Amino acid sequence: MKRLAAALAAGALALGLLPGMAAAQEKKITVMTWNIPYFEEGFQVWVDEFKKLHPDFTVERIDMKGTELPTFYQTQVVAGTPPDIVDVQGGLWLEYASQGGLTDLTPFLERDKDYTGRLYPEVLANWEYEGKNYGVPLYVSKTLLFLNRKMMQEAGITKDPESFDEIMTAAEKMAGGEKTGLMTLNFDWLYWPLFAMNGVEFVNEAGTEAAFNTPETVALVQRLAEATQKGVIDKISWTGRWVEPNGAFAAGTVGMLHAHAPAYLWFQSKADWVNPETVGAINLPGGWSTPNSHALIMSKGTKWPEQSWDFMKIATSGAGAKAMGTGTNNLTGDRAVNEELMAYFAKEIPAVVPALETQFQNLDKLTGNWPFAKDAALKEAFYPELQAAVLGEKDVKEALDSAERKVNRVLSSR
Amino acid sequence: MHRYPRWPVHVALLAVSTIMLVPFYWVLKTSLTGENIFAFPPALWPENPHPFFYVDVWYAIPFFRYLVNSVIVSVVVVAANVVLNGMAGYALTRDFPGKATTILLFLSCMMIPFQVTIIPAYLITSELGLLNSHAGMALPLSSTIVCIFIFKAAFEAIPKSLIDAARIDGVPDWMIVFRIIMPLTKPAIATNVILSFIWSWNSFLWPLVIIRDETMQTLPLGLSRFLSVVEDTTGALYAFCVMVLVPGLVIFLLAQKEFVSGLTSGATKG
Amino acid sequence: MAPRTDTAPAPKTRRRVLEGARTFASRKRTREIGLVWLFLAPSLAIFTIYRIVPLIWNGVLSFQFWSPYKPAEFAGLYHYEEMLFYDEAFWETLWNTLIFMASAPVGIALALGVALLVDTPIRGRNTYRTIVFMSYPVMTVAVGIIWQWLFNEKVGLINYVLISLGVIDQGIPFLESFTFALPAVIVASIWQVIGFYMIILLTGLQSIPPSLYEAAAIDGAGAVQRFRRITLPLIRPSLFLCFVVGIINSFTAFDLIFVMTGGGPGHATDLLVTYIYSTAFRLSKFDYAAAITVVNFLLFVALAFLANRLAGGEAGAVKPGG
Repeated sequence: MKRLAAALAAGALALGLLPGMAAAQEKKITVMTWNIPYFEEGFQVWVDEFKKLHPDFTVERIDMKGTELPTFYQTQVVAGTPPDIVDVQGGLWLEYASQGGLTDLTPFLERDKDYTGRLYPEVLANWEYEGKNYGVPLYVSKTLLFLNRKMMQEAGITKDPESFDEIMTAAEKMAGGEKTGLMTLNFDWLYWPLFAMNGVEFVNEAGTEAAFNTPETVALVQRLAEATQKGVIDKISWTGRWVEPNGAFAAGTVGMLHAHAPAYLWFQSKADWVNPETVGAINLPGGWSTPNSHALIMSKGTKWPEQSWDFMKIATSGAGAKAMGTGTNNLTGDRAVNEELMAYFAKEIPAVVPALETQFQNLDKLTGNWPFAKDAALKEAFYPELQAAVLGEKDVKEALDSAERKVNRVLSSR
Repeated sequence: MHRYPRWPVHVALLAVSTIMLVPFYWVLKTSLTGENIFAFPPALWPENPHPFFYVDVWYAIPFFRYLVNSVIVSVVVVAANVVLNGMAGYALTRDFPGKATTILLFLSCMMIPFQVTIIPAYLITSELGLLNSHAGMALPLSSTIVCIFIFKAAFEAIPKSLIDAARIDGVPDWMIVFRIIMPLTKPAIATNVILSFIWSWNSFLWPLVIIRDETMQTLPLGLSRFLSVVEDTTGALYAFCVMVLVPGLVIFLLAQKEFVSGLTSGATKG
Repeated sequence: MAPRTDTAPAPKTRRRVLEGARTFASRKRTREIGLVWLFLAPSLAIFTIYRIVPLIWNGVLSFQFWSPYKPAEFAGLYHYEEMLFYDEAFWETLWNTLIFMASAPVGIALALGVALLVDTPIRGRNTYRTIVFMSYPVMTVAVGIIWQWLFNEKVGLINYVLISLGVIDQGIPFLESFTFALPAVIVASIWQVIGFYMIILLTGLQSIPPSLYEAAAIDGAGAVQRFRRITLPLIRPSLFLCFVVGIINSFTAFDLIFVMTGGGPGHATDLLVTYIYSTAFRLSKFDYAAAITVVNFLLFVALAFLANRLAGGEAGAVKPGG
């Protein structure tokens, strides 16, 4: 037994030392995707297309979960070996871009007009910081309101809500016992449409100072807090991330869910009662929504910017984008491809079509996608205070004052 | 030592066992039925149990490949821990200049959370040429301070007379360690084996950061990968947890049988 | 593996002793010290690489403005000022960390009770040991998920049991509540780590030669007296170790907290280590995180030394008898 263990140990050490490190100037680009390891066929489509242009290059692929991606990426940046292309969600790219960690894509976009022309300008504008564009849309989604029509019927609600007041009234009618009326996702700025539809501005026009601390906001948060205490708004709205809220909606005890389109396929897979008759998908009052799209960005440290750009174009337009859409059940930033994709979904997964149809409506009413250099720090300054207020831990006025102070501190600090 | 009734001990231990087992039972049950854990009221007994989630896990990721990697890393870690910690623990029982400082240094080293060492540790490992390797995954875990102190405590509990007797007989120090002390510290060795195995087996963030090659991934990385495939908190996830847990328990049972049970008779022999 | 007693180069030794006892003693001493350092060297090397160098790195960083994307600039005490005077979250997480650590003695006391029980010669003690220990090898992510469910307001087992027993009429949203979230996380953490404490204490208990108990029993010492006079003093190194583990358990609870609450609601369950990690990797404020790391380190070292003092002087020393 002992000899065996020793031999195993020696063998393991030898094995471990063999693979070693890759040569530095190898003709290779590295692409890091965000939580889509199952997306294999489509990725191969990208690689095959890319090899047609650059046959001497190899493509390395890494996939990371969103919670680990920043850790891995930034460690690689420090080590001088960042992946050339990275798939990022939400405002993560802003931290990197504002500190000079990303390649400015504007010259590429201006040069390759035929590519740029395929994209929705409103969507592309999501990745603009100080006049420069740092990302191209990989897949696109934004929030909408899902309705549990069974619960609406039971509560005698015949009309879809068209204003914030109507949402709250409907929620009150549906709530009771185990049932709650409304739930929202809260990560990134996904809950912000609830504020935008009440006319709340987060910062002033110059983006230098908090503008949300008004009597109207106090009244609004007060209302949200009371509804939460009474169980009209589900508490998970303010504490859960993704699995919990969607899981709760799947359980059939939540009247309305404010979430982005991919939530549909998720809760549909968990609950057999979900179909287009029982779950409605509508735009929020006023058309407001917060995008939760993914972009491809290019690391500043890349040794192969031209090749990387070619890969990015392949992945985000034409056949490559279509492979993305069908492979992950998402819409893309390419208008022509989306038409094909909608036809594909109508045939393959008709149930998801109503939700997807909302995704390219009201593109002028996107909110919560402000290009702050310190996006993450601002969330950290604002959200815990809001959370304390709506969960009844802190007086609303006090919480908003404190949030204002913290937000201003972030905006003014270096 | 049989002067008191046994049943109160059993009652107390059964109560503790129940508390410890309930969450565990739930993992096992859910891994067999895959119920939505948000269903109410919770079903206490499994309905229609089936092994399909285990099959899913086996095929959804290269489970065997990851298992082999995990085993290799853990074997290296366990072997290194028993030897290195035993040596260091023994050294700390001796008087030498700088002993107090060394102990303080060890204690202080414990107070540095791994999470803040990621970037410098990565750079150093890269300098050593150990990125993307089993050795690189194992190295930071190859000696653990808690285990050094477990050895130290065990060594100190050995009657000094025994070691002195051996010294008088002229047995060299290194032989004292391996021939006299190690056999007498079986519980400490078992503890080292168990703990270092668990730490290495469940290690997640470090392999995540230094492994780029898919064929080098370990089981916890597989969990992360797997989670993104199923985006799920039910059946398959719990099946995966059970599959990853079993080796840890087996090691515990083996170590326990091998070292602990034979102990009561062995400890006083010398 | 019986102790070898036959190796005895006696004549040589005797000659040397005759030649000069002093020289021999000092040479032997030097060789012994050399051996001690040789034994310590591998572990010291590993800790230097993976602990001390990173700590120094953090120390230097805490006086700079730095991010992975920019060259460093001198910052003086900027980050420390920010932390001590402007960052409410830092104080909140510091307080949470202290509460978390203060719960360690509870877990250790429970574990000692269990360890004493499973150290008795009862039938099935190995099974009990395994059951109590079983929670420790489970991956923390899984522990987090399962306790998240147990604590759930509407469908969780704990609320189900409490309501069935008539203790409460309505479920308590443990993890969504500012009051209960931290205690709930602490309970889950104790559940996970209790087997670890038990195994450390068991190692200590089993190192006690049974002859000592027998002698005490012959002297007529009762069970309580035996516990106080023999057990407690002799497992002091193990107890001290448990306290140290309790202190650093706030590091190991990292995954648990990330899964169960993500540090929320607000910062109610954020500990220093989770706060440091998110400040560094999520906000990309590595320099500021480094400053918190330094403060966190100093605080923990101070606490460890305090525990050491309370445990009675030199770390892990054994003073048998009572």
